[in-house]
Amino acid sequence: MTRLNNDCTVDRRDLLKLSAAGLVSGVSVPWFESLVASGIDAPRKKNCILLWMDGGPSQQHTFDPKTKGEFAPKPTAVPGIHIAEHLPQLASLMDDIVLVRSMTTEINGHYDAKYFLHTGYKRTTAFEHPSVGCISSSQSEGGSGDMPAFVTIDAGFDRNDGGRLYRNVPGYLGPAHAPLVVNDPNEGLENLAVTGANVDARLQLLARSESRFAKQFATPAVTAKQAAFERAVRLMRSRRSRAFDVDEEPESLRAAYGSHKFGRSCLLARRLVEAGVSFVEIVHRGWDDHSGAAKPIAYRSPWMDAGMATLIRDLKVRGMLDDTLVLWMGEFGRTPGDGNGHFSKAWSTMWAGGGLKTGQVIGKTSEDGKNPGGEIVERPVPTQDFMATLCLALGMDIHREFMAPGNRPMPMVDKVAKPIAEMLG
Amino acid sequence: MNWQPTITPGCVVRRLLLAMALFCPMTALAEDSLLERDVLPILARNCLGCHGGLVKEGGLDLRTLPAMLKGGESGPAIEKGAAARSELWKQIASDNMPAGDDREKLSPADKALIKRWIDDGLPTVSERQKDVDPLLTPGQVHKPLEVATAIDRHVESFLQASGLQAVGVCDDEAFLRRVTLDLSGHVPTAAEAVSFLDSKDQGKRQKLVETLLAKPDFGRQFGRTWREWICPPELPSNGNAGNQPYGQARAMGDWIGKKITAGDSWAQITREILTVQGKVGDHPQGIFYALVGRGGGTTADGSARAVARLFMGVQLQCARCHDDPYRDWAQSEHWGLAAFFGRSRGDFEKIEIGKGDSKKPGVIAIPGSAFKNQGQTIKAAFLRGAEYKVTRTDDLRPALADWLLTKENRFFSSSFVNRAWFYLFARGIVNPIDDFRDLNPPSHPGLMKMLSAEFAASNFDIKHLFRCLCNSRAYQRTSRLAPGGDARARSALTTAFGRMPMRLMTADVLYDSLKRAYGDDKLDLRTTIKDSTVGMAAPVGDAWLEFQRRFGINEEDATDFTHGVAQMLTMINHPRLHERSKSLDAHLKKNPQAEPDSVIEWLYLSTLSRRPTATESAEARAFVDKSTSRDVAFDGVLWMLVNRSEFLLIR
Repeated sequence: MTRLNNDCTVDRRDLLKLSAAGLVSGVSVPWFESLVASGIDAPRKKNCILLWMDGGPSQQHTFDPKTKGEFAPKPTAVPGIHIAEHLPQLASLMDDIVLVRSMTTEINGHYDAKYFLHTGYKRTTAFEHPSVGCISSSQSEGGSGDMPAFVTIDAGFDRNDGGRLYRNVPGYLGPAHAPLVVNDPNEGLENLAVTGANVDARLQLLARSESRFAKQFATPAVTAKQAAFERAVRLMRSRRSRAFDVDEEPESLRAAYGSHKFGRSCLLARRLVEAGVSFVEIVHRGWDDHSGAAKPIAYRSPWMDAGMATLIRDLKVRGMLDDTLVLWMGEFGRTPGDGNGHFSKAWSTMWAGGGLKTGQVIGKTSEDGKNPGGEIVERPVPTQDFMATLCLALGMDIHREFMAPGNRPMPMVDKVAKPIAEMLG
Repeated sequence: MNWQPTITPGCVVRRLLLAMALFCPMTALAEDSLLERDVLPILARNCLGCHGGLVKEGGLDLRTLPAMLKGGESGPAIEKGAAARSELWKQIASDNMPAGDDREKLSPADKALIKRWIDDGLPTVSERQKDVDPLLTPGQVHKPLEVATAIDRHVESFLQASGLQAVGVCDDEAFLRRVTLDLSGHVPTAAEAVSFLDSKDQGKRQKLVETLLAKPDFGRQFGRTWREWICPPELPSNGNAGNQPYGQARAMGDWIGKKITAGDSWAQITREILTVQGKVGDHPQGIFYALVGRGGGTTADGSARAVARLFMGVQLQCARCHDDPYRDWAQSEHWGLAAFFGRSRGDFEKIEIGKGDSKKPGVIAIPGSAFKNQGQTIKAAFLRGAEYKVTRTDDLRPALADWLLTKENRFFSSSFVNRAWFYLFARGIVNPIDDFRDLNPPSHPGLMKMLSAEFAASNFDIKHLFRCLCNSRAYQRTSRLAPGGDARARSALTTAFGRMPMRLMTADVLYDSLKRAYGDDKLDLRTTIKDSTVGMAAPVGDAWLEFQRRFGINEEDATDFTHGVAQMLTMINHPRLHERSKSLDAHLKKNPQAEPDSVIEWLYLSTLSRRPTATESAEARAFVDKSTSRDVAFDGVLWMLVNRSEFLLIR
């Protein structure tokens, strides 16, 4: 659980040596920091906007429609690729999109599946694995700029189910890599706005005492407190923190993203990435459509289509799309046909931008037979492969090892993973 | 370092020299090569992957000295005193091992350490620590001050031997705040602070410790500390509904607290946890098993690992699936312990006897999810002890408790002592605190031996132990530190207990301290959006749970300041922290004529447990005078005080 654990071989070797020497408890030995710092590689280059459709969206009503299915397949900008009829704007952007239609991820229970797809590992009782957003935070420069590395946005819900929500837990990477949470995209970041009278006088009064205290108690804890406090004040006063305020955007663009919280979240995500945030996760809840997916998804499609398509276009116009991956997914898909049940055997994720080889489809589900879409017929993508591809797409070193409790080395991505080379640029 | 091997026998200093050598690399005795300090890290890095618990190439296991002497298919790996005749050395010296062209070979320095160790006759730290003098007679209960003095003799001898100079004792203000936060879990009130600070009584520190230990707050604070130690970072949930037993976990912490307040011994409390059955509603400790279980239910192996970690100080998690690759724990030992929990099963509601992972009492099968030996049946066995002959038909847990909860048990007393020490010093005598084993020796072996014996002799009296620890000079040292200086030296001094580190308040302690500062028992720092019950990290629970989630700290290292921008923004801008302090209002109502200076002093006392310095007083006064109203002025001073490093940290 200490933030110093986030390194690979240097860290591990010395940790073993030190712990055998009885020196390390929480790896807090200060000179250890410099060792760790010297081992840090070049920062990752890509940003990520993860669009998490909590509850498990139906693939046949979105990105893997079937000719005999409830939604008609419609042609897209890329000849030969069809998606569901209710997503016309996304269809026009297929050149910038890769569809992975062969996700196969073992777990059909909501929470365990959310955990698995967020971390790349199955839950154990031994410890909590960090989520990909936290991993990304740990691998980004972070800390020195005004903006946090990892932000989550709650985009609200249509239906209040889909089980317990997954919380992004940094686990053994340390609490510094927990996300900053935006509870409502229209409200921005909690507690960011100055509250109370005469803030300057208060801060000044505090600063004097703090600087005296730091001279008497020059401990790492005091240094860290003062640094965190300063970052908070800087963010509070930074022009860049205005990124949290979507109302600054022109009316026409806001309209294009849509007034739904999801579209607002997409707009906020773009502003945040622009301002230096490297990983944004937007969660929209209520995709656990047990009474048939057709009706609810027909209802949700317009705002989803508008929000996502505008996001992709907006990123592209600003020259940010190559460096920003937009990933749409849930914890699993739904049973072929009406989409009533959970289905982890063969489902879809949508990837856009990020410098990927776009305009293609990875994997294939069955077209014919009794149960079209019930089987994968080409390039199955298990969770580990998915996670490896995602981390590689974001420019991370997937062989890096972290130190989990009990001096147990944990690779960033399970070693069995085979990344999808066909889509990596 | 002048080390004279002929110092008077029985002298603690001489015996502690070894610990020092273990402890302090920069003053290490260059001529010594010791198994635990020098050799094992090299083996762990280069050899144990293929010759350890997971894989034993050529039948060779290098995890322990006896295993090395036994050797593998080609005979013993080492010959005492003769590296040249030792297979291990030959293989390493010729770069034949580590095997394969792609493997990095051992450096000349590492090779030299291994050669010297074999040639010198395989010296180990544990062997040299064996006869360490505990200074007090085992089997007897001593007066707390006597024990405190012995603690200081152990620590002092260590420091002296290491060439380190301890810092002085902290001032009364720091002591008051530290000991109140540690033993009560919240800041003292202004009145409590004044009464202690103004007392001229020479024995006032000792008396304060007594007073605090006598309060129910002590039990409450230590009970919830145990709750945190027991709970995984994210609580389990049952099925897709996703209920997490926060309420039950809190009730368990409260239960432990009440037991402590009632004067129950740690052995008694542990027994009641281990052998609990029936409804969790009636027996709050019953949630223990589901908390360490899986998917809302209990598991025999999860129970075994938790009991090992928490009550025995032993890490068995790797041994679930295979022998521990680096440590000497066998998979059969893990499952032998798990078999004791094989005939009880439960969830968030209850614990029932007669069902469970074991088909029949006393044996358990290694499940298919393990990597090795799936399906193999293992008999119940006490860790590092005898097999257990089933005499009861079903519940085997009482038998485990009978074995564990004795004064003679090698695990029970020392693991609690180590946690108590860790709680006060942010570092154990053995580290990591739950990794007791022969090849991970304590930094202060005599201290560990003495305290374990004392705790056992006192019949596991928790308050007696805290009385001993808090009256020691080691606990009362200052945490002051001048800027600059050598970080390594500073770290060495802190880890040798020659200086008190600064610790970050836990969420519970910070929350209670803020509640006191604002005189508001319902203080709520949740977000403005409270209507959602399923928010992401948002208001899923009550004010306490949200605070807990936001201000949780690094449980393994309280010196690690883990709060970031979100926490600081909450402290800076949360509207509640800009509203009236009810305790300040009450104070002003009682003292309507109070001068600003006296109000400022009162605010300092109720937050930082001290009076302001002249400079601080003048600065605050200037701020007050410039403010538009008295309310704005004092709210601002209070805001400044709770945002101080001095408030958030335990100095």
